[in-house]
Amino acid sequence: MKVSAGELKKKSNEIRKTMLEMCIRAGTGHVTSSLSCIDILVALYHGRIMKYDPANPDWDERDRFILSKGQASPALYTVLADTGFFDPEKLNKFAQKDGSFGVHLQHDVPGVEITSGSLGQGFGVAAGIALGAKMNRNLYLVFTLLGDGECYEGSIWETAMFAAHNRLNNLIAIVDRNYLCVTDFTENLIALEPMEDKWKSFGWDVLRINGHSIECLVDSLSNLRSRRANRPLVIIADTVKGEGVECITNNPVWHGISPKGEEAETARLCLERSCGNE
Amino acid sequence: MNNISQRDAFWNRVYEIARKDTEVVVISADMGAPALDKFRRDMPSQFVNVGIAEQNAITIAAGLRLAGKKVFVYAIAPFITLRCLEQIRVENAIMDIPVTIVGVGAGFGYEDSGPTHHIIEDIAIMRSMPRIQIHSITDSVMASAFADISYHLKTTNYIRLDRQILPDVYHEGSDFTEGLSILRESDDCYIISTGSMTHTALELARDLEGRNINAGVIDVYNIPINGDALAEKVRNVKKLISLEEHFLPGGLGSAVCEVLNDYNIPLRVRRLGLSTDKLYCYKYGGREVIRGYYGVDKGSLAKDIAEYLSVESLCSLG
Repeated sequence: MKVSAGELKKKSNEIRKTMLEMCIRAGTGHVTSSLSCIDILVALYHGRIMKYDPANPDWDERDRFILSKGQASPALYTVLADTGFFDPEKLNKFAQKDGSFGVHLQHDVPGVEITSGSLGQGFGVAAGIALGAKMNRNLYLVFTLLGDGECYEGSIWETAMFAAHNRLNNLIAIVDRNYLCVTDFTENLIALEPMEDKWKSFGWDVLRINGHSIECLVDSLSNLRSRRANRPLVIIADTVKGEGVECITNNPVWHGISPKGEEAETARLCLERSCGNE
Repeated sequence: MNNISQRDAFWNRVYEIARKDTEVVVISADMGAPALDKFRRDMPSQFVNVGIAEQNAITIAAGLRLAGKKVFVYAIAPFITLRCLEQIRVENAIMDIPVTIVGVGAGFGYEDSGPTHHIIEDIAIMRSMPRIQIHSITDSVMASAFADISYHLKTTNYIRLDRQILPDVYHEGSDFTEGLSILRESDDCYIISTGSMTHTALELARDLEGRNINAGVIDVYNIPINGDALAEKVRNVKKLISLEEHFLPGGLGSAVCEVLNDYNIPLRVRRLGLSTDKLYCYKYGGREVIRGYYGVDKGSLAKDIAEYLSVESLCSLG
């Protein structure tokens, strides 16, 4: 049974609030990079897209989710806690002395497949798992979430070529296309567009969607198990860095940090307002 | 005396292992070998060519391992270590995903290819990371044995193969579990060496014998060094020399000094190897010519070692 878009939007709002509070409490975390991909994660984990079992994180038949943009760990940790992989209390200790995980993604957290933070690597591991699944005749899917800035890494394109050549149609890459890097907008920095053409020319099926539309996300991520294609699929999800908290969106200075003091209060209000508008 | 390359000995044995275990996968970064051609022909589903893309090779290897495969990943030594160093650090050292990294061309093995293809920093760099064992291979017998050892290993290892055919100094069935072996006994003095330099050390020791100097040879093929084993063997000797075809900072000699320090053995080590002051080498005409540039050709070494051991003082020791 499908989960309604309304329920998923509600879930996204909850996750945003929990994530924001976690980072404000910790005084750190890549808040804007997390906000841009929360809807994607909610679609995957709550939209009945991925197969997983929080009680058995190592379940052989689970779909694999590889967060290649490891700086969005606050988003994934919050979703994993919410789905029951671990006690949500642990979020209160994010990046703190007595906590067990911090700013970049850590493979020893239940539900997390890899350590990432160094960009351009998780994608290759995802392709390796997808190839292994093919060799083993396992039917699980491998999802991987890339940052758009991550696509500057040459290793991304080594893997893109490899995955298409090896017909890894069990591999689904999602690019969180929020247009921002650390210092500037990508198109000012080194243009990444035309992104669809790049991926197509590397042999991938390409979808481009609004990455904050739960309906579009669920729609494009559905029925992937019976996809009639021998190519891997990339979904370029156009997003906004900081989505949901307007006062910190679309400004490079908010990369990699968490709002503090008055700014934190403003951010909370922004998020409340945006949730109210839904 | 065998005349098979370490590369062929290693991959021939991996071929046999993979015939029995379909979980074994070889990833090649566009590297060939007769044994690999056979592997690809007979077990195409267990052979992956990633092209000249070493960074991808390491991440694909890690992913395959997470999917349950036993992975050997192969390229020219400088490229499968340094080009993809950060991938190795994250996937293999930090995450502890065990794979076997196989590099060919240790030291000046690609003698006519220039410094891009020489690898004279890898021991220092690879041993600076936890969970990675360096297996610096001495001969084809050892190469074959380490195919089996790699297959059973639960951590990542880096197999450092020489490209040139070197004579066998070990015999079938040799025990490599200690990580180092005494190839020549001595009460007074040992040359501690690795890889191709072990062959040079043996030649030097034979020459010194003619001058009434009994120098022993310890071949170190597992780094980090087995400190207990090395300490036990050298605790009572009077002089130690380390010899390597590798830059001196962080190399075998450094590793030996660390062991001596940690085991409270008050011995100085005469470290022979490549000085970074000499930078990189654009000389051609064979390995010995390149070694000559760095002052570690056989003639220079014989002179250095003889001076260091100073015949008179050693004789008086006896």
